[in-house]
Amino acid sequence: MNLLWILSACSFIIFPVTALLALRWAYRHGEFRDMQKIALSIFDEEEPVGEMSDHFPGRSRALKKEVKS
Amino acid sequence: MSAASPSFAAALSPTEPEDLTQRRALFAEIDASCRAPLIFLFGSGLFWLILGTVFALLASWKMHNPDVLPDYAWLTFGRIRPAHLNAVIYGFSSPTAIGVAIWLMCRLCRVPLIQGRLIALAGVFWNIGVALGIGAILAGHSTSIEWLEMPAYSPIILFASYALIGVWTIIVFRFRRERHLYVSHWYLLAAFLWFPWIYSAANMMLIMAPVRGTIQAAVNWWFAHNVLGLWFTPIGLAAIYYFIPKVIGRPIHSYYLSILGFWSLALFYNWNGMHHLVGGPLPAWLITVSIVASVMMTIPVVTVGINHHLTMVGHFHKLRYSPTLRFIVFGGMSYTVASLQGVMSAWRSFSEIGHFTHHTVAHSHVGMYAFFTMTMFGSMYYIVPRITQREWPSAKLISLHFWTTALGILLYVGPLSVVGFMQGLKLNNPDIPFLDVVRFTVPWLRLRTVAGIIIFVGHLAFMVNLIWIFIRQLGPYKQPEPMIIAATERPAGGPA
Repeated sequence: MNLLWILSACSFIIFPVTALLALRWAYRHGEFRDMQKIALSIFDEEEPVGEMSDHFPGRSRALKKEVKS
Repeated sequence: MSAASPSFAAALSPTEPEDLTQRRALFAEIDASCRAPLIFLFGSGLFWLILGTVFALLASWKMHNPDVLPDYAWLTFGRIRPAHLNAVIYGFSSPTAIGVAIWLMCRLCRVPLIQGRLIALAGVFWNIGVALGIGAILAGHSTSIEWLEMPAYSPIILFASYALIGVWTIIVFRFRRERHLYVSHWYLLAAFLWFPWIYSAANMMLIMAPVRGTIQAAVNWWFAHNVLGLWFTPIGLAAIYYFIPKVIGRPIHSYYLSILGFWSLALFYNWNGMHHLVGGPLPAWLITVSIVASVMMTIPVVTVGINHHLTMVGHFHKLRYSPTLRFIVFGGMSYTVASLQGVMSAWRSFSEIGHFTHHTVAHSHVGMYAFFTMTMFGSMYYIVPRITQREWPSAKLISLHFWTTALGILLYVGPLSVVGFMQGLKLNNPDIPFLDVVRFTVPWLRLRTVAGIIIFVGHLAFMVNLIWIFIRQLGPYKQPEPMIIAATERPAGGPA
């Protein structure tokens, strides 16, 4: 039964506690400020917003004509 | 590795420049640095996928024709079924997930992959571990613990290889040149830190120094559920959160919701496993806590589902043009379905009927195939042309791959979910003889085999397309589409 308690401690306590500590770090590190900017961080001049970055092979020209986002 | 790769000592304490964004790497540079390890991980994954599908087809066939190939001990259902599971989980899904995760991590951190060859080497050892494990299972040396059937020597090799990969991925994160963490970052970091924990804990408590009694079952399902929820799901969601906005060229609908989805998953998921043991001889509170946590999973699932849907609204016509988007959106929708089905299955009243039936098998395939595998296919369709600097050779084969796997898996899980539930109702009725219940399921098991064959055709189409890329490489170099920027085109002034 002791092992069950160790398992429960691991599973139910240590996991959420590490998650909460990470949450605290994220908050203090400013990860929850200016969220719109973070959402845009995957785009840049190479792959800008408003352009599709994937298409079936050999159909890029047809795509540019048809898709206007 | 390139000359710019930092030494091991330097890797532990990166010097941080005043403005990180000044030193961002170009996407094309990052793609080129991932080339060798990713091609190896994807290629070996595909090999195990094909082999795993063959195992699956044979196992499925034996469910309705038990007299097929009865003389070969290594092809009996009890060995071929765990061989299928291990081939697709450890052979295909994990290396592919690792490949996609490494690429995403480098792109999100804006740094080229550090020590790519070391990761490829770790991939080789991982495959040796998987091959040994599956060989042992077919030879009859299975541990008979579900999801951990490989005998003790395999997990040691797998863990050591994983550790090499995991450490270098975390080091890439330490070197990041992006000021803020995107939501995919969170999922990836969490997955890379959770997996070694759950895998080593479960192996130590079940294989190396087994615990006794029902605690084995508790550890077993704590692991089996968490490997899905804390390893495959975060990587799948990280890919969806990256590729949907990236492909359609529009930021995620609500970044707030995405963050809420991640943190609620991080806090609730790991409590879920015990709902597999409803009715088992475990303390009732343990199972009740698990059911409560499973129902709380509705929060991350619904937030993620709404967020993906609202991002896609107004852009659904783009599904026609992008192979990646097709697979990813199919995977994202399946995630919602799989998770809500899982929430429902956790209830005691449902488990009384659904447990020990084909419903569970169908449910796990919604999660692992319709959600996770389809998401990985979508990711590979995006990544492979960029790392190889080659277009996919055939658009028709991509279409064939999508329609066969999508329709095949729907044909598999749809009927089998319903039939499994009816099977459970019949099993609970003492007036119906057991063999009648078995006979009732047989036509539907045949349908499952047909669905499996359709899916297999899709996998072959994918394999042909992937091999074709490399065969064509032997011929004259063809300039890629302008969309894919070659690594050599880097401007003289350094990255912008």
